[in-house]
Parts: sequence; structure tokens; C-alpha cells
Amino acid sequence: MSLPARVVTLVVAFLAVVAGGIFVAFEFIGAQPPVENYTPLAKAGQVNVTLMTTAQTTVTNKPDWVSYFIKNPTTGNFDHTTYFSVPANTRVNVTILGYDGCTPLRNPVWGKVAGTLGGVENVSFFNGKTASPAAPLTTFDTWANCSVQHTFAIPGLGINVPIASVTTVAENGALCGTSPCVADDASDALAPHTVVTFSFMTPKTDGTYRWQCFVPCGLGYVDGNGGPMATPGYMMGQMEVQS
Amino acid sequence: MAADASSAGSAPATQPGGRRDGLWLLVSWIVLSIIGCLLVALVLGPHLPPGAQSSSAASQQTDITVLGTIATPVVVGVLLYLGWALTFWRQQPGDETDAAPIHGHTGIQVTWIVGTAAIVLALAVYGTIELISPAGAGAGEGPQPIWKPAGTTTASLTSWAPNTNNILQVQVIGQQWAWTYRYPQFGGFETTQLMLPVGEPVQFNVTSLDVIHSFWAYTLGVKADANPGLNNVAYTTPEHTGQFQVRCSELCGIWHGSMYDTGDVLSVAAFLTWAQTTKVQLADVTKLLPPYATSYDPTTLNLGKVNAALGLSGAGGGYYNPADPEQP
Repeated sequence: MSLPARVVTLVVAFLAVVAGGIFVAFEFIGAQPPVENYTPLAKAGQVNVTLMTTAQTTVTNKPDWVSYFIKNPTTGNFDHTTYFSVPANTRVNVTILGYDGCTPLRNPVWGKVAGTLGGVENVSFFNGKTASPAAPLTTFDTWANCSVQHTFAIPGLGINVPIASVTTVAENGALCGTSPCVADDASDALAPHTVVTFSFMTPKTDGTYRWQCFVPCGLGYVDGNGGPMATPGYMMGQMEVQS
Repeated sequence: MAADASSAGSAPATQPGGRRDGLWLLVSWIVLSIIGCLLVALVLGPHLPPGAQSSSAASQQTDITVLGTIATPVVVGVLLYLGWALTFWRQQPGDETDAAPIHGHTGIQVTWIVGTAAIVLALAVYGTIELISPAGAGAGEGPQPIWKPAGTTTASLTSWAPNTNNILQVQVIGQQWAWTYRYPQFGGFETTQLMLPVGEPVQFNVTSLDVIHSFWAYTLGVKADANPGLNNVAYTTPEHTGQFQVRCSELCGIWHGSMYDTGDVLSVAAFLTWAQTTKVQLADVTKLLPPYATSYDPTTLNLGKVNAALGLSGAGGGYYNPADPEQP
């Protein structure tokens, strides 16, 4: 092979490797879930955000992974993402439709509501037929009772909200089997689930805050904290506070 | 040192112009070393990390200052010799002759070996003393620490008062991805806040609920690995009020970089007020916690009947069955 041919071959091979690296970086490593932008919807210092938990993620290639979904404020559909943005210095009213079954916490301390306005969450249970009135709760015993499916925690803001689960064996055996689950409020749902509502104030300045679940719900991974627990778009995400 | 190397034949002792390189190098090295040592010990030393917020941090700062001061003559000697060689021993234009041949010099070799051995052994002795005297120097000593703060005992695990020999117990619990802190002498409450009283010895009992973490209270000079199922004890005495940073220094998963806290050293009175207030505030969740222990096993729990009927025997986790096609 002549010298020019060798040089060209070397350059082409080098560029191919670089292009491959860039493709992997952007396509796999750098890829992030879409961001649901709730900032424009804030009125009178408040904004409403709706999330959903499901026992599976049938819309992805990981159908047996548990996941959060977030309601698209424009379309009203639940998108497979855990990234959302809210305005600064605003009361965020969160509704979480909990369609998963119960799992004991590794650390019972995460069974206490923290960082919400009033230090409480309001929970309504839907058993498949009727919904109970929303009642305020502050603490869950996940070892003695079947009571929590996931948590919504923003450690940087001191927020921890256990997501109540349905409580009986029968209800846990009749969970929604597709995702996102069809209902966007309690009355429309057929599968047993809970409706958890709470509010918190966003900081006065902008910033990005990560949030996560403290229930070890990564089935099949050591300590339950791999897989969906360690993948953006499933059981962890980011809240972007915009000023 | 530089003068010795010069006299060994790598450079002429006396240059053609009559300059005595060895003497100049020796004098310059001594003068610059004295200046350098004074600057490191007196000017730079008080500003070296990790500061002096606690007894262990101050001890570490002293050690780094001592080591830096000892290293200064070596650094000065190397840089001085290099600079001297580059400046005065350059090859002249048209000079094609070889340098002077180098021969062995028993005196220099013996001096070098004895001198460096003495320095290393002295540092080993100094380092050992500095590890023992400040009760482990803030490092994790394992479940049965050898070196403890003088005059302290664990007289009670259910109560604590300042200015007694009953050392304050703080359990540090690592979990993916947050730190929590348990205070057994105040009813065993567990919180995400780390508060310490100034001037009182503290015993950190560090453990983990999942993977290996590492508790690093940087400006307190405390660093201890958090291992699941194991207690790792470290000691310090906060000496100044104010905030300090806590980080995880063991790569523990995707949010390892976010696993940090800001702790606070308070006056004794403020600490007691905080502890009693927090004890009351967290009473409802404290009663749900397992009894205080040096480590915990979340994989085998005494669960209620519904959890048991669902086939649950502990918190989540564990690997897939090898025959499961959904293995990650």
C-alpha cells in the first residue's frame, strides 16, 4: 500500500472511531428524557404538577421496570419522563397517581413526610370500585403494613413524600398491567390505586434539583437500587426551577 | 546535596572563571531552604487544608505542615540544581567534547542512603505517633477502635450530658443516595441533619444499608468508610462553631456526586435544644425504626401479615434468577 493510501486509511479509521464515540455519547450516555415544562402554567403563585407511578413500563424496551410518568401539560397525556420544570418561589401542588404495589423501605425513616406544606400528604384510596375521601397522613409503617409503593424525595430541598399504596393482597394482585395506566383521576381508574396530593414551595432562585425514590424497587438489581432506580426517566429525575 | 553531586564529577567543582559551583550551590541551598521552610511553616501552614475546625482537622493540618516543611529543602535543592545546571553548565557553541566521566563515590552513596533512610524512618515514627495521639486522626478504626479520645467512655447509650466522660454517639448511615444520622442518646431519632456540639468529643459510628459509601466530613478531618453490616468508628472533637461539608468519597452509584450534606457545629446549649426539639418532632417515625444497633440488615425483616402474604420477607433488592430471561 502506498504512503498516501496508508495515510488516508489511517485518517478515515480515526474519524470513524471519533464518530462512533460521539454517536455513543449523544445517543446513549447523553440522552435525557424530555422535560415537561410547567413554568408557563403558573397562576397566582401556584402551579399544578401531576405524576404517575406504574409497576411496569410497557412503552419501553424495559417492560418489567417500574417507572414514574409525568402528565404533559399541553396534551394531557402521561409521558415517559421524570424531568419537569417549575417556576421559582412558587407553590407546587403535586398529584401522584400511584398504580404500583407495596414494597418495604430499606430505611423506615423515609416513611415520614417531610418538606411539604403542613408536613402532610393527602391520600385517597381507590379499591377498584370506590374512592375513599382524601385524608392527611404524615407517617407510614412500611414494615408492619403494606402501605408505601415508592417515595418522591428531593434531598436538596428536604422533601420526602412516601407514595401510599393500596393495602390489601387482593388489590396488590389486581394492579394496572400497562403503562401509563389509563386514568388521570381517581374516578376514571379501574385498577386499584392511590391518589396522593401535597404541596411545597420552590426556592426563590433557579437551580436544578434531582429527585429519587427511596424504595428499593429495582427488582433484580443488587440492593434494589440499580436498573430503574439508577436510570433517568424511571425512578429518578430532575426538577428544574426557573426564575 | 547539590554540592555533593557536583563534587562527584557530574560538574567541575571550580569553573574556568574561578567560580566555585559546589560552594555557591551549598550556600544558596541553605539560605533558600531556610526561607522556604519559614514560609511553609509560618505563612502557608495555617491555611493548609483541612483547617482547624476540629481536633482531628487541626492535627492533620499540623502533619501536612510538618511534612511540607521537611520536603521544602528537597524541592529547593532539586530546583536549584536544575536551574544552576541550565544556567551555567550549558554546552558552549562549538564545544564537542564529552562531559567529565562520572565515577562512584562511596561517601556520597553512604550519606545518601543513610540520610534518606533516617528521614523515612523519622517520618514513619512521627506518622505513627500522630495516628495514635489524636485518637485515630479522624480516620475510621473499624468496629473495635484501638485509639480512643483520652478520658472518654461509652458510659450510657441512652443519655448524654456535656462535660462528662460519656462520649456523644452519632451514627452515620449511608444509603443510595443520602446520609442519615441517628442519635441513640436522644431517644434514637434519625434525621438528615448532622448537628454537633462544640468542644465535646464525638464518636461517629459509620455504617451502610446497601453498598459501600464513605463518610467524609472534610473540614472536620473525619473520613470513614460506610460498609453494609459493619460498624466503622471514628472520633473527633469540634473546636469551632460553624458549618462543615459532608461528602461521599466512595463511588456508590449514579447519584454519588449528589450525596453531600452541610453539617453544623453548634454551641452546647444550641445543640441540646436542637436535639430535644428534633426528638419530639420525629417521635412518630422514631418508634418505627429498628432498635439502635451498630449495623442493620434490611434484607431480613419481621414484616406484617399482608407483606408476608405478598411474598415479601425484606426490603427490595437481590439478583434475578439466572434462568430469568430478563436479567439485566
